Amino acid sequence: MAMKSFAVYQKYLKYLALPGLALVTAGLLAGVVAGWTLLPAGLLIGGIGLLLLGLVLGNQGQGRFWAQRSTEAGANALVSTLAVLVILGLVNFVAVRYATRVDLTENQLFTLAPQSQQVVRSLENPTRVVVFDPLPNPQDRQLLESFRQTGGQFTFDYVNPYNDPRLAQEFGATQTGMVFVESGGTRRFLQNVGPSERLSERTLTNALDQVVSDRALTVYFTQGHQEFVIDGSDTGFLQAATALGEKSALVQPLDLAQTGTVPEDANVVVVAGPAAEFFDAEVAALQTYLNQGGSLMLLIDPRTSPGLDTLLDPWGVTLDDRIVLDTSGSGQLVGLGPAAPLVTDYGDHPITRDFRGGRSFFPLVRPVNVEEVPGVTATPLLQSNPQSRAESLSAEGQLQFDENAPPSGPYTLGVALSRPVDGAAAAEGEPPPESRLVVIGNATFATDGLFEQQLNGDVFLNAISWLGQQTDATLSIRPREVTNRRITMTVQQQVGLGVFSLLVLPVIGVVLAVVMWLRRR
Amino acid sequence: MTLLLKNILAIYQRELQSYFASPLPYIIAAVFWLLGGFFLVAILLGPQGILAQAAMADQAVQMGLPTPPPFDVAYEFNKAYVGLLGSLSMFVLPMLSMGLYADERKQGTLELLATSPVTNWAVALGKLLAVVSFYIAMVLPLMVCQAIALGAATPPTGSGVFFLSHLGLVLVAASVLALGMFISSLTESTVLAAIMTFALILLLWLVDAVAQGLPGVLGSAIAHLSLLKHFTDFTEGIFDTGGLVLFLSFIGLGLYLTAQSIETLRFQRS
Repeated sequence: MAMKSFAVYQKYLKYLALPGLALVTAGLLAGVVAGWTLLPAGLLIGGIGLLLLGLVLGNQGQGRFWAQRSTEAGANALVSTLAVLVILGLVNFVAVRYATRVDLTENQLFTLAPQSQQVVRSLENPTRVVVFDPLPNPQDRQLLESFRQTGGQFTFDYVNPYNDPRLAQEFGATQTGMVFVESGGTRRFLQNVGPSERLSERTLTNALDQVVSDRALTVYFTQGHQEFVIDGSDTGFLQAATALGEKSALVQPLDLAQTGTVPEDANVVVVAGPAAEFFDAEVAALQTYLNQGGSLMLLIDPRTSPGLDTLLDPWGVTLDDRIVLDTSGSGQLVGLGPAAPLVTDYGDHPITRDFRGGRSFFPLVRPVNVEEVPGVTATPLLQSNPQSRAESLSAEGQLQFDENAPPSGPYTLGVALSRPVDGAAAAEGEPPPESRLVVIGNATFATDGLFEQQLNGDVFLNAISWLGQQTDATLSIRPREVTNRRITMTVQQQVGLGVFSLLVLPVIGVVLAVVMWLRRR
Repeated sequence: MTLLLKNILAIYQRELQSYFASPLPYIIAAVFWLLGGFFLVAILLGPQGILAQAAMADQAVQMGLPTPPPFDVAYEFNKAYVGLLGSLSMFVLPMLSMGLYADERKQGTLELLATSPVTNWAVALGKLLAVVSFYIAMVLPLMVCQAIALGAATPPTGSGVFFLSHLGLVLVAASVLALGMFISSLTESTVLAAIMTFALILLLWLVDAVAQGLPGVLGSAIAHLSLLKHFTDFTEGIFDTGGLVLFLSFIGLGLYLTAQSIETLRFQRS
């Protein structure tokens, strides 16, 4: 009796496979999305159970399910298909793991600069870039992909902060688009990406370079001579200081009148636009620091005399009291007057090597004159336009110049100098220690608001990096530029191309179709 | 071995002849050319086209506005147009693949094929080669139009990206056709085969979006399946062996599944 009723219902048992399948799917999905907790595992196991019950018992009623030839062939096909899928999966896994990319674009748009490649390859610990962005930008992804394929230690992850708030909290990501670099136990904020700001190779490479060299710069900004402030209490060097901070440099104010000497840990001392004179003792402190292999950046606006001449004399540098005027009108294209010369001519130096015609501008700038001094290597960094002139100001601050006077440029607006330290022996395999000095006849170019414009910020940051005597290689990676190319077609050519592609080709297709149709009939 | 090649070649010829002797493929080609031509004109010459954009940028310079960033018209045009041909193909490919086996099934010739001495996968390979050849024949005239436009570039442009992007196009098409061939072997109805293939294409086209919602290894593994991602690499001028292997895997999988599906057919009706 019992057997008979089982047989009656048995044919319905096969329908159990359907809910079984549904449960398996639900279990798999839940497990993948929410992690393998008890519930998804239970769903999966239950589903598999139902599936087996349905398939095995449900078909037993017909008795010959396992004996059928088609079942055997089907099972064989299933097994071998699974095997093929696994093989293809493995092949693809290996192929992705050891993929090579060949960049066929003309200017190697998708290939990393040699410096970046070197830095990525020299990573010793696994280094991960985490981007908190729900919508990865394909361009950024491409760049990160290039990094990943260059070095085995580099990985990156896109994290949707809304799906994974715990991780976002762990990283301290407060908004979307924040990018972090993680290596070993250290983790630091790199930059924000958004529609207007993309990930840049240079920022990334510099960040990785710091991971490699594991050395943060300490940059001191002198205070007490009406310099530009770095604390944001007034328009000053806040953006510059923040940008340095993002490069994990430690930025500190320095009051020489109080400390007496430059602190031991200083990598770079910046004198940003002093308006009042330095005391002799302060100049002496800077002098001592410089002579011992320190690095100093002097940004000195025109119409100020900070009294640093005794410091500059041994380097052969004198500050001109005049103002450089660019009367060529080139600055007007970007909305600048003649008193803010546009610089497109840069010296061959690690700071400016790859600026290549990029633009920076210096509102009210004085020329920096350089004489050759034995032992000092001087490289003019910034050159004004040949059409420019240097004019002096009257005592009232009025600019007086003759419209028709011939141009007397170009003028050097900034210079980088270095000199080996006296009596210091070089450690093995390393270049001998140097004193480094950068003098620019203007401080305004790197103040808030101007810092982010054109290459102004790059001039400042690259100068600091060079002064900090970091590896010079990663300094000046510029984004790859595409060739400026146009397609020039006459109207006849355009019309011809249009008619051919829009009219002639489809008509040919239709005519051929009609011919074939007629032939068939 | 030579026999096998001969068999494949014979199937290839037979299939190709059937394409060039029937009106439907020409209709498909005509529609493809019309749309392709329309987009060629729209992307290149249209009022919002790339040439107009470049002209506007040049005008800005003459008016003394800041110089816009350099703009490689030839490269951008090639990228946009080949990308578009890819999208356009996704509507045409199911129509090309739908009849590959479904017609045979309908006409009852599939049994002959399945039981013929020619191995199933050789038949599938011959059919696939034929349909890919037909697709290439469809793309070639548009490629010529594009080459004419690119030939007018100053300074002259190289041909590396141009050929690589079209190689990508053919590889994507071959992958889709191989999978479409498998779907076609499952059913008697060409319409059903076309619809199913189109659904599969959409899935493979959008799988990247799905993968972004998934974390970790699974996400990147699924993202790798995206045809669009690898195709975009090719159109942008990056030759990625990972992408190449994926395309070849899809082609291989399509061939294998088709052969399997015909193999099981022998026993299904026993």
